[in-house]
Amino acid sequence: MRVLIIEDEPRLAENIARSLRESAGYAVDIAHDGQEGLFLAESSEYDVVLLDLMLPQMDGMQLLGRIRKSGQRTPVLVVTARDDKESVVALLNAGADDYLTKPFDLGELLARTKALIRRGKGQPSPVLTVGDLELNTVNRSVRRGGRPITLTAMEYRVLEYLAHRPRAVVSKTELLEHLYDYNWEKFSNVIEVYISGLRRKLDDGSSRQLIHTLRGQGYILQDGTSQP
Amino acid sequence: MERHSHETGTQPRHAWRLITIVVLSQTLLAAGLLFTGIFYTHQRLLSTLDAGMQGRAMSVAALVRYTEDASGNVYFDETLMPSSVDPAHPDLFAVWTERSGILAHSANWPAGLELPPTGPDHWKFKFNHVHYRGLRVSRVPVLDREEGKTFRPQSLTIVYASPMIQLDDQVRQAGISIALSSLLLLGATVLLALWGIRRGLLPLQELAAEAALVSTHHWELHLPNDAQQIKELRPLTQSMTTMLARLQHSFDQQREFLGNAAHELKTPVAVLKSTLQSLLQKPRASEEYREGLEHSLEDLERLEQLLQWMLRLARAEQWAHGALRRDLQVIDITATCEEAVERIRHLAKSRNATVHLSKNGPVPFRADPEDLQLVWINLLENAVRYSPEGGSVEVAVVRENSGPARIIFEDHGAGILAADLPHVFERFYRGDPSRTRATGGFGLGLAIAKALVEAYGGTITADSTPGKGTRMTVELPVG
Repeated sequence: MRVLIIEDEPRLAENIARSLRESAGYAVDIAHDGQEGLFLAESSEYDVVLLDLMLPQMDGMQLLGRIRKSGQRTPVLVVTARDDKESVVALLNAGADDYLTKPFDLGELLARTKALIRRGKGQPSPVLTVGDLELNTVNRSVRRGGRPITLTAMEYRVLEYLAHRPRAVVSKTELLEHLYDYNWEKFSNVIEVYISGLRRKLDDGSSRQLIHTLRGQGYILQDGTSQP
Repeated sequence: MERHSHETGTQPRHAWRLITIVVLSQTLLAAGLLFTGIFYTHQRLLSTLDAGMQGRAMSVAALVRYTEDASGNVYFDETLMPSSVDPAHPDLFAVWTERSGILAHSANWPAGLELPPTGPDHWKFKFNHVHYRGLRVSRVPVLDREEGKTFRPQSLTIVYASPMIQLDDQVRQAGISIALSSLLLLGATVLLALWGIRRGLLPLQELAAEAALVSTHHWELHLPNDAQQIKELRPLTQSMTTMLARLQHSFDQQREFLGNAAHELKTPVAVLKSTLQSLLQKPRASEEYREGLEHSLEDLERLEQLLQWMLRLARAEQWAHGALRRDLQVIDITATCEEAVERIRHLAKSRNATVHLSKNGPVPFRADPEDLQLVWINLLENAVRYSPEGGSVEVAVVRENSGPARIIFEDHGAGILAADLPHVFERFYRGDPSRTRATGGFGLGLAIAKALVEAYGGTITADSTPGKGTRMTVELPVG
């Protein structure tokens, strides 16, 4: 998963980014002002945007309006110091999906971020299931047929993204864009390595294949045949 | 609820006091009236009685006749005596002649009646349990004169007395009727006063009910029609309206300040909290802990600074609101400027800026030098921070012969946009938030400066040309 943080307080942005990277294994980009934030939000694929309201160059509210006007469906979590009813209502009405008031708890921020990503991809439960595969996004554990499977951090991230979009064709570029920050292009060759690693760990000793490759199109996570 | 009942409990008490005063004074008046009335009636009746008795005594005298002979003796012709007015208590009379003593008396004449020796012609005595008023007429000539008779005429002394029962009755009746009508009047007055007070207080009560609806969420005072139309209430309603407007203004200001302050405090707290929480997320190398703690300390210092600024502002504004009641010495404005310039040198040096102070002699002013220095330092910091690298700031202390002292701070920085200019003295106002972090301000310095200058009865104004620089002018009422 890839998160955009738009926050002008550098240390706060850095702390949130560190927490998201370490605890959730997300890729994080940081923008320090509204203009940069808008540019990144419009030019890259993000699974969730964390937005501060008081921003230089462009106000957070304005930015939110621009993002929503352009038809972006990315969930937006607003982080604000204002907790009066009027401003909360105003920002939800402007297209925000959720809000958190400063000072906040990093654990809560993480939980809300995960929930927004889930909902953005149409997954209501924090435990994702595909066939007999079970992926728990809360403690980042994977089981197949009740058997626990140990994955590397990168393998888990690939599987997590695929599990959020079961039965859909996910291209290599999409995976790259959602798993790495802005310099994802450098990593273009490693996806195959993770996929083969995942296949070995998941499908070994099982009669039913879960990860399927569509040559020239991408990958599908689904129970059974390779035809979507 | 309790307050409400207390209020309604005190209002009637005041009204009752008023009514009591009215009733008391009217009772006093009525008592006076009763007394005078009785006295006057008594006097009038008495003089009427006296006149009647005089007449009767004279008619008694007229019944004294000379005998047909020439002896000059007299007799009393009792047959012609008129009957008494009050048959139950007949009048008393007696006639004396000079020569032969008592000539005649009424049938009920008491033998032992003591006449006052001399003195008043009228007196009062008790006979048969009844008060009588006596009249003594002396030296009454015998009225019976026959033509041609010559002898030494005699003079008579007549005592006539009438019972005073009727008079007393009449006086009593007059007293009762005066007392009754007074009482009636008194009752009417009380009722009228009660009605009037209730009626008069009604608009006040309506006004109070409306005023009770005013709260920090609902500032509008709806004035009832009655309260608006009554001329006597106008000063009250007017001062209530202006008071509410002033209260609302300062309340809104406070609320806005509180909102801004909360906002400004929350961000550094959020940074601090996130630093510590992310540090605790997993075991880390001691270097990482060290770095995290250093960051936390920096953030904490910033928070502390912000708190200090806010307290300074609160203090300055408290003075501005009239609490400036300190024993102040006369100090020199120029000297405080010199001190401030000296204290800003370090910051100026770090930005390669120069500060130049032009002055002509001391300018005496009654103030706390610390306050003035704080103003100058805030203005200087602003000027230095917004000056370009290596820029210059000019400070001038100008004192014309009469009029205020002017202290001018001029920089050659980017200037302030015309849209921002009216707001620069507002608390937490920052034209461009991006510049704040770079320059490290909280948006409170100018607000503090303004509050302090105004506390000393001065003014502060900002002029700016974007791209050329900013000039801040402080005017202080010296002399």
